[in-house]
Amino acid sequence: MTLATAASKGLGMPNLPVARVVGHPGVQSKEQLRRNVLDVTLDHVIDNLLNPPKSAGADHEPSARDVVCKGSFDEINDYFYKNELSDGLPIVPPTLEKVEAFLRYTDRAPDDSLGSILPDNRAATIWSIAVNGVMAGCKPEYMPVLVALIEAMADHAYGVEHSGNTPGGETLIILNGPIIKELGFNYTQGVMRDGFMANTAVGRFWRLYLRNVAGFLPHKNDKATFGNTWRVVVAENEEVVKKLGWSNMAADFGFYADDSTVMISRHTGGNHISSVSGASAQELMPYICDAVLRQYSWQLMFSTGQGLDTLRPQLLLSPLIAETIAASGWSKRDFQKALWEGARVPAHQWERIQRDWTQKPLWDLKAAAVKGDVPKVYHESDDPNRLVPLVWRPEDYLTCVTGDPARNSIYVFAHNGVLGFPTCKKIQLPKQWVALRQAGAK
Amino acid sequence: MPSNDGYYEALWPRSPRQSKVKPLAKRLDTLNGKTIAQVWDYVFRGDEVFEFLEEGIKARYPDVKFVNWKTFGSTHGSDERAIVAGLPQKFKEHGVDAVISGMGC
Repeated sequence: MTLATAASKGLGMPNLPVARVVGHPGVQSKEQLRRNVLDVTLDHVIDNLLNPPKSAGADHEPSARDVVCKGSFDEINDYFYKNELSDGLPIVPPTLEKVEAFLRYTDRAPDDSLGSILPDNRAATIWSIAVNGVMAGCKPEYMPVLVALIEAMADHAYGVEHSGNTPGGETLIILNGPIIKELGFNYTQGVMRDGFMANTAVGRFWRLYLRNVAGFLPHKNDKATFGNTWRVVVAENEEVVKKLGWSNMAADFGFYADDSTVMISRHTGGNHISSVSGASAQELMPYICDAVLRQYSWQLMFSTGQGLDTLRPQLLLSPLIAETIAASGWSKRDFQKALWEGARVPAHQWERIQRDWTQKPLWDLKAAAVKGDVPKVYHESDDPNRLVPLVWRPEDYLTCVTGDPARNSIYVFAHNGVLGFPTCKKIQLPKQWVALRQAGAK
Repeated sequence: MPSNDGYYEALWPRSPRQSKVKPLAKRLDTLNGKTIAQVWDYVFRGDEVFEFLEEGIKARYPDVKFVNWKTFGSTHGSDERAIVAGLPQKFKEHGVDAVISGMGC
């Protein structure tokens, strides 16, 4: 009920009547569920259909440029924490002077909006990006990256409104292009570890913006069962990618290989896969395919269930592994094809997860294939042991080369499908970028 | 000893809400003779919950009619925006007087 109450406010219907369902239907017998609905929910529903709800009250909030607190560093931080405006770590006080320094690094006007961000339905203004960038500890010159990130957040394809869902997945940001070196992002050893200002501060900015503008506050619009801490930005090792003749992530999303881009996607978890051993692509693939499969269970619903064709597994390959694969004469496309052919699940297991274990209404691969809702590869025979692919097509596997150049490891993320679909945006530098950078260096 | 904790004037980090408060639909005087749409997001066993609600409402209002959730498609999935955008037209086509939408959790 707390989620419905919080979300309805952003939709402009704060008094929307809600009926209570006792407990969680997922752990009730059919008879228990029936009794709970007939004894409790039914009266709420009928009452909501027949009786007018209370009138909605007006919402009094500060204006965009209002100073909301004056005082010392500790006083500012106490205010921001008590008013749910920070993540619990100290923030850099967002003063006018600091915000204006950020605004110099974009050609867009402060009041320009990149869209409305659900569930709070607030405007994604350039101004609000600057304010939250200051708070996160970013440097002013990170501003073009921050703007591109919020442009991606506002893209409906990403589905930011789902960011408070039960699995509590967290966004992965992958950075490409000359901006990596220009701003000093780490793209080698420990690439997902905090300790590198650009990677860390931009990652923190993302979560602060989700809280303050999108409105994802734990115990309110954020209903993550367990949740995850925000991830630091991952940058690709473009030197290695270029040497291999592979496409980088930017090119995979249709941009020029030398464009600077941000790609966002949301993942419920992942795993580091150690000791990926073998002297050729052929020797490495069985273990890699097995590792990919082990990250996926209920998420199969994003391939053939209600999240139809939105599963996009993301892999990070250490340079050493990418080099070993490429040394076998394999392109990135060859690698994706081998994943698609090798990472397969018995059909009966696939259906059992969706039908019996997670009680989803869409689980019948044969019915879906006959109807034309899923590709024929999901029903090439009636054999329950036939193997079906994790995703519809080879290119659905996303691959980034990064991490320690000297280690034979990969990382596999568990993607959250339509609830955080991969979305990529170009980073636009201001016209005065070079002059600003030169002035900043002095 | 003087404090070296500084003095700051901190700006509001949120931005204006884009939604104005909207009036809700008029409530019904009775459910008899009315048509109620079931709109579902395909989670949390809503198919069964709607089945039980239909049973309970029909017991009290025998002349009520329901338009099943299968008519509308899932409001939570890969084509959710298109489905939600198409709801008003479908409600008109089916002569819907009221809607029950579920499931949250």
